[in-house]
Amino acid sequence: MKLVFLFFAIILSAVTEAQVTSVSLQASGLTCSMCSNSINKALKTLDFVLNVDADIKTYTFEISFKPGCDIDFDMIRKKVEKAGFAVSSFVATVHFNNIQVKNNKPIIIQDKTFLFVKTKDLILSGEKRIKIIDKGFVSQKENKKNSFLALPPQTYHVSL
Amino acid sequence: MRNLLFAGMFLLSISCKGQELFSMTEPASNMASGSIAFRIDNSIMDERNTLRTNYHLIPGIRVGVSKKLMISGNIFFNNRTEQLKGEGGNIYAKYRFLSNDAVQKHFRMAAFGTMSFNNSDIHQEEINMYGHNTGFEAGIVATKLLHKVALSSSISFTKAMDNGDGNKFLYGLNNSKAINYSFSIGKLMLPKVYDNYRQTNVNLMLETVGQVNTGSGKYSLDVIPLLQLIFNSESRIDIGYRKQITGNLLRTAPNGFFIRIEHNFFNLF
Repeated sequence: MKLVFLFFAIILSAVTEAQVTSVSLQASGLTCSMCSNSINKALKTLDFVLNVDADIKTYTFEISFKPGCDIDFDMIRKKVEKAGFAVSSFVATVHFNNIQVKNNKPIIIQDKTFLFVKTKDLILSGEKRIKIIDKGFVSQKENKKNSFLALPPQTYHVSL
Repeated sequence: MRNLLFAGMFLLSISCKGQELFSMTEPASNMASGSIAFRIDNSIMDERNTLRTNYHLIPGIRVGVSKKLMISGNIFFNNRTEQLKGEGGNIYAKYRFLSNDAVQKHFRMAAFGTMSFNNSDIHQEEINMYGHNTGFEAGIVATKLLHKVALSSSISFTKAMDNGDGNKFLYGLNNSKAINYSFSIGKLMLPKVYDNYRQTNVNLMLETVGQVNTGSGKYSLDVIPLLQLIFNSESRIDIGYRKQITGNLLRTAPNGFFIRIEHNFFNLF
């Protein structure tokens, strides 16, 4: 039933002019630079990725994208997992253009749908960082605290 | 020997950093999916009661098939017949079935198995699937990474069969099976702070490797202190010395140097 609601909610959701400009992800399960390098090189093979700036000290990867390309968050996550590790934090920088955000109201940005949770009613403008909080995008510990339903492809729970 | 152990412990204790790319035993972690590594292992062992040196040259290829599965193949060369001669090879596979990851931490478990073929003469009671016996080995390994310290332990069952070229296993069917076990600790010593992928990593490791024959009850226990250098986050050199500290298994050449050279190619397929 919830899924039916979600389906209608997405149909009725706000389509925006906003766009994802970059992603910052933190990987877990590694220490050494060889492991970090395997993630770094794997991320660079994605055709929509322009550049990966790795901070080996904090295990974070700043990913920028080629203009006009469809950005696939799940492909990014799978690259980290295929290198043998896990994503513990996934933050997308999104350029908003006076977008009204409400708790559980879907917002469509490019080809993705975002469901804001634990959010007050806000109007977002300019560059904001939103955190993907679905399974596979947060640490295993954090995922146990959340109990989200599986969503359709390219749909994500996010928090500010 | 006590001094050697003490030196190893001391070196490992002076910094709180570490790594799990062990030499004698595989960790539960796998290679990155789609990557291929080439390695050359050299064992330069003192033959007991003679002045001869047993040299084992083992080139190998390793493939990360998926995020959970890796396979490798090795060819065994040895100088026991005075000239370096190919004697056999093995196929090894490892499947990671448990992975609990957190930032700078993980606990992982994997199952592994190897099948070896060798056509050399059998000259020791020790059962060894890495350049001595035809047979198989299967076991599990658990690895814990804690910040920059890595701990790993494995247990496996191994069974020797007759070697090729008519070289029989000489010690009886009852003594052809053994339990292998290992415990390894590694620490990353350098760099103190990561800055870029070109920094050379220096790891110190101490591994203990043991075998108990399930038939005869005879055993051996070795310690191997190792220095490992990782260059450009792609290549590595391991230099270690293997020393038997206790045991009553008949072994031809248990003590000697070990040198490994490896290069990794990422995202090849």
